[in-house]
Amino acid sequence: MRWIAGRIGSAVLVVWIVATAVFFALRASGDPLEAILGGPGSQAGPEAVAQAREEYGLDQPLILQYLTQLWRVATFQLGDSYARRQPVADLIAAQLPGTLLLAALALLLAWALALAGSAIAATARGPVGRAAVGVVRGLELVATVMPQFWLGAVLILVFAASLRILPATSGGADPAGLILPVVTLAIPIAGFLAQLSRDALQEADRAPFATTARSRGASESRVLLHHTLRHASLPALSLSGWAFGHLLSGAVVVESLFARPGLGRLLLDAALSRDVPVVIGAVVVVALLYVLVVTIVDAVELLVDPRLRRPRAAHAAERTPELAVGS
Amino acid sequence: MLRRALPALVLASSVALIATACAPSTGEAGPSSEPQDGGTLVYATGDAEPTCLDPHVGGNYPQALISSQYLEPLVGRDADGAITPWLAEEWEVSEDGLTWDFTLQGDVSFTDGTPLDAEAVKANIEHLQDPETASSTGYLAVSKIAEVEVVDDTHARMHLSEPDSALLESLSMPWTAIQSPAGIARGMEENCAAPIGTGPFVVEEWVPQQQITLTRNDDYATAGPQTENQGAAHLDEIVWRFIPDAATRQAALTSGEVHVIDNPQPDAIVAAEQGDEITHIDAPRPGSVNRIELNAGQAPFDDARVREAFIRAADPNPGIEALYLGTVTRSYSPLGSSEPMAVSDESLFATDPEQANALLDEAGWTEKDEDGIRMKDGERLTVRFPVSTNQSVAAEQSLFEQIQANVAEVGFDVELSPVDLSTWYGVLGANEYEAVSAPYTRVGAEVLRVLYHSDAIVPAPSGYFANHAQLSDPELDALLDEASATQDESARADLYAQAQQRVLESFTVLPLYDQQNHFLTRGVTGVTTLGTVATPTFVDARIAG
Repeated sequence: MRWIAGRIGSAVLVVWIVATAVFFALRASGDPLEAILGGPGSQAGPEAVAQAREEYGLDQPLILQYLTQLWRVATFQLGDSYARRQPVADLIAAQLPGTLLLAALALLLAWALALAGSAIAATARGPVGRAAVGVVRGLELVATVMPQFWLGAVLILVFAASLRILPATSGGADPAGLILPVVTLAIPIAGFLAQLSRDALQEADRAPFATTARSRGASESRVLLHHTLRHASLPALSLSGWAFGHLLSGAVVVESLFARPGLGRLLLDAALSRDVPVVIGAVVVVALLYVLVVTIVDAVELLVDPRLRRPRAAHAAERTPELAVGS
Repeated sequence: MLRRALPALVLASSVALIATACAPSTGEAGPSSEPQDGGTLVYATGDAEPTCLDPHVGGNYPQALISSQYLEPLVGRDADGAITPWLAEEWEVSEDGLTWDFTLQGDVSFTDGTPLDAEAVKANIEHLQDPETASSTGYLAVSKIAEVEVVDDTHARMHLSEPDSALLESLSMPWTAIQSPAGIARGMEENCAAPIGTGPFVVEEWVPQQQITLTRNDDYATAGPQTENQGAAHLDEIVWRFIPDAATRQAALTSGEVHVIDNPQPDAIVAAEQGDEITHIDAPRPGSVNRIELNAGQAPFDDARVREAFIRAADPNPGIEALYLGTVTRSYSPLGSSEPMAVSDESLFATDPEQANALLDEAGWTEKDEDGIRMKDGERLTVRFPVSTNQSVAAEQSLFEQIQANVAEVGFDVELSPVDLSTWYGVLGANEYEAVSAPYTRVGAEVLRVLYHSDAIVPAPSGYFANHAQLSDPELDALLDEASATQDESARADLYAQAQQRVLESFTVLPLYDQQNHFLTRGVTGVTTLGTVATPTFVDARIAG
């Protein structure tokens, strides 16, 4: 119960901080009136300007506008877009599923790649195995440092422009369009997750319970699937929340690059045109999603690792020696 | 660390090599069979997605691009810049230039069945002038129309508050195109989603951030000046897609996902010119050229000698050649090459660093600090140059960097600051700039009045003003006012010629090259552009078989 209350408290805090930061950042760098009057540099007539100022409450003191905006967020009335004149909630609702699908598929692929890489590294034996481990480690490193924009551009050049086997853009009915954006998003995350899970897997592989299992005659694959992989997934799992946040921000780049509709592009367009309600709405939704995912990840961790369910002191005492054995 | 990464790097690069080697080196043979009727044309734009498809609202270039497919103006403009009939068959202006009579084509209906009549013209002008519409470009274009009188169904009479020789040019632009009054009456939200016009296509569906589907108007009967086809378009529909990244757009064209792209990169244009698979359409925009303007309203550029020194030292030609790979031509005029009244004077822009040094010495910028920057009374010769990253392509930003290096040779300290569009307008509004590059698209030489008349130093209520050079020259104002008021075309051309010469001689403007409109097409024939603001039209277009 206290756990849930803490989660709600931190969610409220996160939303308040991002809404405040976004409001003042946008107001400090430009007049939102431009968005209302058809974009920057608008030369609309004096009457149109005055009318819009009044209609959108922009003639009020800034602090009042801020409090109004905050009240709207608190009551989850996101208001209307300045530029599109549609409810912000509708705009977000239309773009959210696409981005969630993209992020979820990318996370799944990242996980699959990371676990496959770790499994190769952990089970490899002999000179060929060592070479394979070297390759996996190198790939992880390269994947982790690869800029998404560059990676996406290279994939487009190779698979769309040269080989012509995959579409360069995504978003239509063709599911093939999803392949390149998902791969672009997944690879850097996969590299990161793989580094973590590989270390944990090797650790677990040398742990007493693995030795015990082997001594009972369990095959290598049984040891991997039933015993060690679960351990290997823990550190990576706890970082999946972080990874998901990373995917949502990566979506801004990937959605623009692959001309894919989504929350990232909505946010980017709105920020460029000072469409304050859309930016605040989108950022608040992203922040809430992030908190939600982190909470889910924590809950899943509790399920996977029974030790976490016990009181903290006992768990710490139990965990430390076990990890020490392997090293 | 590196040793561990090495095998992976080798592997990755060999994969990349193999992948490239597998690519068909010669490219597939271009579609060669006969063009056919019907089919869907896919257009990919790099311009921003409009927030409203009705170009009366706001009024920017992305709206002009798409609305040319479903809305049509009262008059057209051919490739030579001559005004031609379109929805209006003919027109007549009174002696004093204050009354304009327009005769509309009879038997024309909007795609919702509403007849195109004088009432419709009246409703459109009123819609543009209504503060609720929040129009900017169209509002300025029709600002001298005091009232539209409905004489009868096919005759509309415009009463002007003062003579306006640019009225026809204003009415030829997509931002003043005529829409169904019934469509406008639905209210802004509905009209923004699907404006109703007389054009060759009809807005069918708009999926934000993804595409707009336009279907053929089967009853189309108002062909414009640039099309051969006098009836309905050959295509069944157009899918208008938004692909912000230039490399992705190019890949989508090469891979056959799309038929037409705009805003291609210079290297893609050069490649298209050399191959036969992709066709290049070069359609310079009217109005001003791409140029750098020097703020004559404050130090140091309030001194003409300092402005001339900057221009003599800038030497943009090598940069233009190298960065644009020969896809643009240097301009020496304030007006684009598609403007019949443009005047060029190359002699004013000859590069001469020695003269630049002499001019700066003469102007009192004689000391130099340790960085080689000139000083006067303890002040550095600093030029703040905000660059809008939303409007300036990468090549242009590199060109500005080269100019920065060139003028540094004679002692200018140019501070280039790349900023987003809103910040850019904010900096201009606050007068925190000495140099700026701002595109402005408008049909006709009247753009000179928008950009260089002293009235345009006064910011609009939104903070924007167009006279970034802050030229305040009573003689220039007089020439521009007179040109606006005169109906005699040759007198008008002469006045605009004198005005341009004054602008060029003021050394407030460094012309660079035409505002570019380039299109690349693949697998489609018959794509043409309108003579107004160079937007594409697809009435004659056919998909290759």
